[in-house]
Formats: sequence, structure tokens, C-alpha cells
Amino acid sequence: MAADAGAPVGIRLEGVSAQFRHRVKGLVYAARDVTLAIAPGELLTLLGPSGCGKTTTLRMIAGFQEPSAGRILIGERDVTRVMASDRDIGFVFQSYALFPHLSIFENVAYGLRVRKEAAAGIARRVGAVLDLVGLAGYERQLPSQLSGGEQQRVALARAIVIRPRVLLFDEPLSNLDAKLRVQMRSEIRELQKRLGITAVYVTHDQEEAMAISDRIAVMSRGEIVQLGDAETLYRRPASTFVAEFIGRSNLLAATVESVAPGAVGVSVAGARLLLEAPGDGLGQGMAVRLVVRPEAVTLAAERPGALAATVRGRTYLGEKVEYELETAGGRLQAVIFDPPEGGTFPPGCRVAVQLPTRGLQILPETAS
Amino acid sequence: MPAAARRTVRDPALAIAAAVVAALLAFFVLYPLVALLARVFLADGQLGIGLLLEVLGQPGHRAAFANSLLLATLVGVTGTALGFLFAFTAARAGLTVAWARFLDVATLLPLISPPFTTSISLIFSFGPRGLITHDLLGLKGVTIYGLSGTLAAETLTYFPIAYLTLRPVLSAMGNTLDEMAMSLGGSRRHLFRTVTLPLAVPGLANAFLLLFAASLADFATPLILAGNRFPVLPTEAYLQITGLFDLQGGAVLSFALLVPAVAVFLLQRYWVGRRQYVTVTGKAGPEGTAKGVSPAARAVLVALCLLVAAFILYLYALLIWASVVAAFGANHAFTLDHYRVIFTEGRKAIGDTLVIALLGMPLGGLYGVLVGYIVARGRFAGRQLLELAAMINYALPGTIVGIAYLIAFNDPPVALTGTALIIVACYVFRYSPTGIRATIAQLHQIDRSLEEASESLGAKGGTTFRRIVMPLILPAFFAGLGVVFIRSMTAISATIFLVSIDWTLITVRILENMTELALGPAAAFSVFVIVVVMVVTGLVNALLRRLRAGQEMPVAGMGGG
Amino acid sequence: MNDTLATGAIRRIAAVLALSVAGAAAADAQTLNAYSIWPENWARPMLQEFEAASGIKVNFLRFSSGEALARVIAEKNNPRVDVLFGGPVETFAAGVKEGVFEPYKPPSFAALPARFREANGQWVAIADDPLVFMTNAKFLKEHGLKAPASWDDLLNPAYRNMLQMADARTSGTAVTRIFSVMEVNGRDEEKGFAYMKKLRQNVQLYTKSGGGGTLPVGLGQAAGGIFFIVDALDTKAKGYDVEISFPREGIGTAAEGIALLKGAKNPDAGRKLIDWATSPAMQSLFAKHKINFVPAHPDVKTEPSLAAVLKDAKIFPIDDAYAQDNRKKFVARWIAEVLP
Repeated sequence: MAADAGAPVGIRLEGVSAQFRHRVKGLVYAARDVTLAIAPGELLTLLGPSGCGKTTTLRMIAGFQEPSAGRILIGERDVTRVMASDRDIGFVFQSYALFPHLSIFENVAYGLRVRKEAAAGIARRVGAVLDLVGLAGYERQLPSQLSGGEQQRVALARAIVIRPRVLLFDEPLSNLDAKLRVQMRSEIRELQKRLGITAVYVTHDQEEAMAISDRIAVMSRGEIVQLGDAETLYRRPASTFVAEFIGRSNLLAATVESVAPGAVGVSVAGARLLLEAPGDGLGQGMAVRLVVRPEAVTLAAERPGALAATVRGRTYLGEKVEYELETAGGRLQAVIFDPPEGGTFPPGCRVAVQLPTRGLQILPETAS
Repeated sequence: MPAAARRTVRDPALAIAAAVVAALLAFFVLYPLVALLARVFLADGQLGIGLLLEVLGQPGHRAAFANSLLLATLVGVTGTALGFLFAFTAARAGLTVAWARFLDVATLLPLISPPFTTSISLIFSFGPRGLITHDLLGLKGVTIYGLSGTLAAETLTYFPIAYLTLRPVLSAMGNTLDEMAMSLGGSRRHLFRTVTLPLAVPGLANAFLLLFAASLADFATPLILAGNRFPVLPTEAYLQITGLFDLQGGAVLSFALLVPAVAVFLLQRYWVGRRQYVTVTGKAGPEGTAKGVSPAARAVLVALCLLVAAFILYLYALLIWASVVAAFGANHAFTLDHYRVIFTEGRKAIGDTLVIALLGMPLGGLYGVLVGYIVARGRFAGRQLLELAAMINYALPGTIVGIAYLIAFNDPPVALTGTALIIVACYVFRYSPTGIRATIAQLHQIDRSLEEASESLGAKGGTTFRRIVMPLILPAFFAGLGVVFIRSMTAISATIFLVSIDWTLITVRILENMTELALGPAAAFSVFVIVVVMVVTGLVNALLRRLRAGQEMPVAGMGGG
Repeated sequence: MNDTLATGAIRRIAAVLALSVAGAAAADAQTLNAYSIWPENWARPMLQEFEAASGIKVNFLRFSSGEALARVIAEKNNPRVDVLFGGPVETFAAGVKEGVFEPYKPPSFAALPARFREANGQWVAIADDPLVFMTNAKFLKEHGLKAPASWDDLLNPAYRNMLQMADARTSGTAVTRIFSVMEVNGRDEEKGFAYMKKLRQNVQLYTKSGGGGTLPVGLGQAAGGIFFIVDALDTKAKGYDVEISFPREGIGTAAEGIALLKGAKNPDAGRKLIDWATSPAMQSLFAKHKINFVPAHPDVKTEPSLAAVLKDAKIFPIDDAYAQDNRKKFVARWIAEVLP
């Protein structure tokens, strides 16, 4: 199949907005000035909480919704005013949207029939694609006779059998149980790479996004707030929003005490730290937030000069111990992997919190 | 691509369909109405209410207006009460299947009958020499003509509407609620007063308004039974036009009818429609022993219902009898002569009616589905208005619609009177709202993503409608088409103004037969219509059941996936 | 029969779909369209006789006289029928006033008495139809009454709420009745209306068509009423036990007319029907079809049993000039004063 798919194409969004009239709030942006370039063959995920504009953006790419401003290009073709039926896309819906009155075969064959393909070709291609998604033999069943996971595979098969230039996924796994979700996402990823189709994937699940994507665009309030690969987003969140949305994080209030090239001195709840970080944009006396991932924290017996904390909660999970700590600068979560036997700190115990001096993201207090 | 840049993402198919529907509505609904209003308010090119005041100033017409409102109110009350009795009994008395079926048949009959049937049988049964009042009870000097007779006939004819409205409401309340209330220590009567009745109030209000509107619009019953001391507006308007050839006066009288009709329609739609506590899910509740009624009350309820049902069946038996005796009341020798008459002399009426009904059926079904689809799925600003316009001819009494058509389409450039088209159009635009509503309701249950999926697979709007939407809303299509057929066979109030030498209708023949004293043929025609309608309704229902059975699972599984 | 009905239906559907929407009656020389005021059971056999005699096919639709007239007037600019067939002369008089007729003098014209023809041939009479009192025999017996023999007999309180007669808004019978009341009251409008208002006390129902009350009287639902003799005798012939009587003050008779419509699409066929209907040939057929009209043509003898009924009755014709001048006024006054 991958052989006939043709060279993958890129997608460009240039200043795309979707505006609608809200009964109370007046004119509201569902998506605002979204600019984005998706590379040929790439799988890009639009990630964000509900109402952030990710689905609206995807639907504008599909042509189900018309942008109020901006341009959308698929390959070199401006499709801003082209109907969905002429965009050459495959769309996988959250609800699967299988045609309930048509058999599995006819569901998958639908796009080919609309294209007036010859019957023999249809049978061959439908057979091949059902094989690909592991549903050979289900041809004569009705969608209602299939499980959720099987239905999603049919939806996928139906979308790829027409060899679209672009595959669009709208939270395709949200109706499946957790185990199936993990399995399906790797199947989708594998299939997308094999077919080499440029794909845009929408989800609110950051783990799913990290697992499946080449790059992730985090959206909030209709705008893209950060675009990058999973590691960049995790390690270098551009805002406290991203820091909190992707993974777990502690946002420690701190004050900049010194700025030198490659080294920033800060004080956190009375403790002083010298961090290896570019001091760009920072100045002495500035209030900042330190993004500290729980697994980056280490604990030791209490000692003077260190960041002191009291253990408020301890959860022993075998491979790791999770601590709920209280410092003068606020609450703090810590995860210690592979804890030594008998080496955990009981609740009420005073401990010293040790933060890494490298790799901490320093965010100005204003970057929310 | 500068040319492409101006193109819209929206599929032109829907826009074109909406434009066509809007044009049809403008031509067949709004234009006649405007023409009617022009007749009422325009005198010698001057806008004014002089004519209105003049016509309504006549004491007879004022009385007719008051009588119409009085009759409609009374029919609303009695019909709702009777409908509630039936619905409550059907939902709570734990009837056996056979008895429930008997009640269903008895209540279905009046809904699918041609006009006059109840009236004819009531005249035979009551009145100075009625089978019941005179022969059975020995009463003398009883008169059936007037308010009481009309009220009785209309109540019997229209209470099934209340029954059909209230039954799902009462059924859906279910026994769970009753059990809960009773476990809290309430007595049965207390339960009825504090739980059942209050929950049924929106349903009752809805039934009342529907009956009020039906009675307000009824033309056939008062024409036969109201007599001269109890004139009502629809018949007065008819007599004004056909008897006195006063089209303007008729227009004014029908306009007087328009005001309460529109008020009731708006009330029903925007007030009661939003107050239904119980939504009909179509899912049957657990059938258990009904705890809402005591055994004694149950016996009384069932007895009352069976009595009414038996009376209705008696009225129809009388009709059948009248169709097979030589001269009802004088010569009761058996004869099939009346049937011979309707199939020979009445053949043109039968043929015309069937042609019109069969033409209107697919057109009405298609139109209903199309309008429903545009309203439910369209994304343009005026679609609410479009829906309202599509409901107008349904909400208005037939007399108004008929007179409006007569005024609007009598003269060139759109001289349609005398054609089949005008009758078909009248039926299609008047009786399709059932199909429209069914389509909208069905589309609300179908995720829009199905259509988007089709679109994403390369199908244009037309293909999507034909291959995806249409198969899924077939039940609504058939429901709409069935109603248009039934009404085309049985309605008279609007089309009595539209029949012509080329196209006449069975219902009009029945009226003529009655005024010509040919009761036998009138009864035979009525029986024929009932049989045809029952057969067609049965076929459509069987088809619907098959369609629903085949689709039940997918439709249920469509919502959340 | 049903097969042909079905195929006929399909053929007509096809025709409707194929032809334009303006499906006006085809101007076929061999067909003729008519509104009949005579009930179908009389119009049909007579018109079938005409079809047999002439080879012209007649389509007709039956209406009460008021309705038929209203339609003819409404369709004045584009008549859908060629002939108005049957109905009391006062209806035709009203039609003359509205200018809807095309004058035509058939061969029998000269032979007819003056009251059976409009001077210019706008209408011609085909029969004469006196009014009668008809009462239910059983009712009379139960109340110890004799058949009413005077207009005042109908005011007897025994008849309270038990009389049925036609509604002047739709029925020519009613209008003929009003003129009869006027004639016996010496054309004194006030006296006439005073009588009708008194009579109203006893009226149970004013019916849409002239004969509408005959069956209720036959069945005993009503005690009696004022009807055309043709309807009354027909009720009796069907087996209902009714008595027919005449008031000694006299009662009106109305000629039954026929007229060609102005702008008729098939005028020649229409003229042929008028020729035939006014001829002795047609009027001799009344007896054959048990239609109790009095023939208008002097050459046709009244059927003996009908003649026997009419023997001692005092019957006067309604003066059509008087009728033409006063119809609208009387009907309006009747609606305003008597009906409520």
C-alpha cells in the first residue's frame, strides 16, 4: 500500500482563525491566528484541554468548518475554500461514524464507490486494507456487531483505503478502555509511518500525544502556546501552563539573586541554589518559578542550609515511593525510584530537599 | 486561484435545496396567506380594518366567533379528560394484550376516518327518533343539533389525539416512580394527586391545545351537527363563500379564525413544548404489575374505557349497516347497491382521490424529509424561520388554507384552481409537518459525523443525502408519507374549496351525498375510505417495523460509540 | 372493476405528470361539462339518456344551487363548465343579473309559456317544481294533528323545534319558499318577515340543500318541513311514511332551468343539451326514471299519479322579475333577522 500512496505532502496553516458569535460573550475565537507548518510524512498532535481549539483547528483542515481568517494549504494547494469532499483527506472520528446501515465491506468501500472505482479493484483494495487492520473475515458484519476497538479499525481502514494525502484523527481512542488505547495508538503510529501519510492527531491525553507524535502543538484558548517534540515540551516547557499540562511538575517560587553567563543564583524558601542555566531575560531580584519534575527531586536527612521540608504523605509503590512534602515555599511532590529497603522517610519526618543544578527550567513569574 | 478563493466550503447542494424549499414555501404558503390578508385589509387599494369591522360587526358572525372558542375549549377539556382516562388505563391498569389492542383499534378508527362518520352515526342514534334516545330510551323531543351534539361528535373524533399524546407521558413515568412514592407511605389517591397528575400537567396542556386547535379547525362536524342556533366560524366562512359568493366576507371570517389558531400554535410550540418533564425515549419501561390503581378503581377505569370503545365501534357498525341496507330507517333489506353506486357513479371521485393521494404521498414524504434535513442540518440564519413557515399551513384551520388558495390561485398568472396540482399542493404543504418533525427528531439522534465521514470520503452533499442520510431516516420518510396519504383520503375542510369538474374528492362526494340524502352511498364511501386507509396504514406500519427492527441496534449504538 | 380503477388511476397519474399543470378541460367536441343542481340520482340517468341520444359525453359535478351559482360567478372569466343544469329559476335570475349566461333559444322556445323562458333566451325551463308541506305521518298521529293545510298550521307549538327546511344562503328551495311567503302576504315585506320569524321558533335546522330535511322528516327526526314536490315524493317513494299537503293560501312553484354559460369551451355541445332538455323527448322520460317534476313543455302530459297529488292544490308561479329584483335583499334580511 505504502508504495502507491505517492510522495507525502506538507500542511500549512497561515494565520487561521475561527470566530463565532456566542450568545453571552459576543464574538469569540475558537481558534486564533494559528500558524503551523506540518512536514511531509510527519505526525503532528494538537494537544490541549477541552475547549482549547484543537478540534476546531482539525476540522478546518478537514474542511468541515470554514476559517474566518487565514489560509490553509495542503501541499502547494490552497484549500481554504475547497469542500471537504475535494480535499483528499481521510478523517477518523471520535465516534467512529461508521455507517450503521452498511456492512463492514460497504463501509470501507464507500469512498471507492464514490470515486466510481471498478468493482474488482474495490474488492481487492477493501480486502487488502481489512487485512492490514486485522479484520479480514468481518466483511459481511454490521458495525453494531463489532466491538469498539474493531469499529475503530474499520474507521481507520475506511479512511486509508482511499489513499488520502492527509490523515486526520479526532480523539480516535477516547472511547476505548485504557489497555486497548495503548495498543491502538502504537498500531496507528506504525501504520502511519508505514503508509508515509502526513497526519494530524487531536487528543487531550498528553501521554498518548507523547507516545504517538513526531511533534506536539500544545494549544490553549485557541492559540498554539508551544510547538516541539515530546522531550522539549517536557524538559523545556515555555510556560507554567505547558509545564503543568505535560507531565507532573512542581512550580517552586524563587527569587533571582545573581545572573552570570551560564549560571543563575536563586533562593528558594530560604535555601540558595546555583543553577546551570542561560540567564537570558533574568535580572537580580526577579520573581521566577522553577519547574521541578518530581523524579528530579532527591531527599536526604535534614541539614542546615539545605531546602528543608516536612514529609506529609508517603505512598510506597514498590518500584517507587511518592512523597508529599511541605516546604516554606509551598507543597512539593517527589518520586524516588528503586528506593533502598528500609530507606524511606516516614510522615512527620524532617528532610532536606535536593534539587538538580542542571536542566531546571526557570520561568519568569509572568509566563503563565 | 482567485476564482477558487471566492468559492465557499459549504456544499452548494444544501443551499440549492434550501432555496428551492424557501421558494416553494413562499409560493404555496406565504403568498396565499398574504393574498388572504390583502382581501381582508385592502379595500379599494386602501389599507384598513373597515371590512373586518363590518363583517365581524354582524351579530351572527360575532356569535360564531364566540361559539367557535367555546366549542374548542369544551372539546379541549372533555377530549383531554377522555384521552387521559384511556391513557391512564392503558398505562397503569395492567390490561391484557388483547384488551389493549381493542382500545387501540377503537381509538385509531376516528383518526383515520373521513369526516362526517361520527356525525352520521350520532344522528342515527340520538335525536327525536334516534336508535338510542327514542327506540331504546323512549325519550321524546330530543335534539342532537347544536352545541351538545357537536361537542359529543368532536370529542369522540378527536380524543384519540389526547390519548396518543398522554400515553407515552404516563407510560414513561413508569412504575418506578409510583413504587418510590408508595414506599414513602403515600396512599394511592394521594399518589395520583401529588405525583401522577402534576407530572402529567405539561402533557395535559399539550393535549388540550392540540384538541382546541383541532376543534377550532373542524369544518365537517359542525356543518352536519351544529345547526343554525350554534354557528361556528369554519362553516360560516364556507357558507359565506359558497352560498353567498362573498369571498371577502369568507376571508374575513377565516381571518377571525386565524388569530386564536396562531395563538394556540405558538403557545403549544414555545410554552408547553419546553415544559415536558418526561421525554419519550421509545424504550419501554419494565412491565410490571401496576401499583398506581387499586383493584376497584382499576375495574371502574377499564369498564369506562371499554364502554367508550364499544360505543365508538357501535358507531362504525352502524355506518357499515347503513351502507348495506336499502334505505336506512325505512327499508332495512340487505343490498350491495350502494357499493355498486360508488364504484360506478362514484368511480371518478374514487379515481381522482386515489390519484391525488398517490401523487401527494411520495411528494409529501420527500418534501418532509427535505425540509426536516435542511432545518436540522442547515447552517444558515433563516432556518428557524423556514421551519416556522413550513408549519403554518398545518397550524391553520383548513378553511383558511382553502380560502387562501382559492383567492391566490384563481386568476392568472397563477390560475391553478381546477387542477389536481392545487389539491396535491394543498395536502403536501398542509400535512407534511408530521414528516418534517419525524425527520428532525430522527436526525437529532444521528451524529453529524456520519455525514462528515461521507464528505471526507469524497461524497458531495447530494450523494451523502441519498446514500447515508436517506436510508437512516427512512422511518421518518414513511411516517410522513403515510400521514399525507391518510389526510389526502380523509380531509375536506381546505379542499372543498378546491375541487372542480376535473378533480373531485371522495370526501366532497360524501358531503354531497349527505345533502342529497343518499345516506347509503355516503356510508359506503366512508367504509371504502376507512378500508383503504387501514390497508395503506397497515402496509406503512409493517414497513416501518421492518425498517426499525433492522436498524435498531446500529441507531442505538451510534450515540457514544 | 378494481383493476380498471387501478389502471385508470395509473393512467391519470401519468397524464398529470406528463401534461402541464394548467390541465383545463380539454376542448373536445364530443364532451360537455356541466354543473348540475339536480341531485346525482336524477341528473345521472337523464344525462345518460342524453349521452345515448347524442353521442356527447357529459362530465358533471353536483352542487346546491347557491354553490353552483357561486362557482359559475367565480369562474366567469374562465368557465370550467359549459352548462348550468337544473335548479330553481330564481338561481338563473340571479345569474342573469351577474351576466354569466350566453343567450340561446332552442327549438322549443316558442312553444313554452312566458314564465318558462327568459325573454332573450338567457335561460329556458325544463321542468316545473311546486313547493309542498311534507310531514311525518307517525308524528301527526302521535300528536293528534292533521297534515298542515295552512301556512299558519306550521306555527302550531306542537312543531316546536321539529321542522327542517333549507337555508337561504345555499338553497334555491329556501329562496322560493321566501317568495312564496311574500306572495301569500301580498308582497308585504314586514308581514312576510314577521311570519318567518314566528316560524323560526319551530325550526330545528336550516339545511344546506333544499332536500336536506326530507330524510330527517322521513325518519321522524323532524316532524315536517317545506320542500319541492320532487324531493317530497321521492322520500315517500323510498318507503318513508310521510304526508304531502298544500296550504290553502297557495304556495309557489319554481321552474327548473338550464342555461349556456358565456365563454363556454364547448358551446355547440351545450346547445345540443339545451335543445334536448327543453324538448318533449327529454321531459317524457321523467316518469320512466320516477322523477316527479312537472314537465315544462306543454306537449308533455304530467304523469297521472303526480297529477293526482297536484289536483286541488293552489299553486302560483314565482314572478321572476320580482325575484330578480329582491333576491339579494331578502336573503340578506333573512340572514340578519330570521336565521339567528
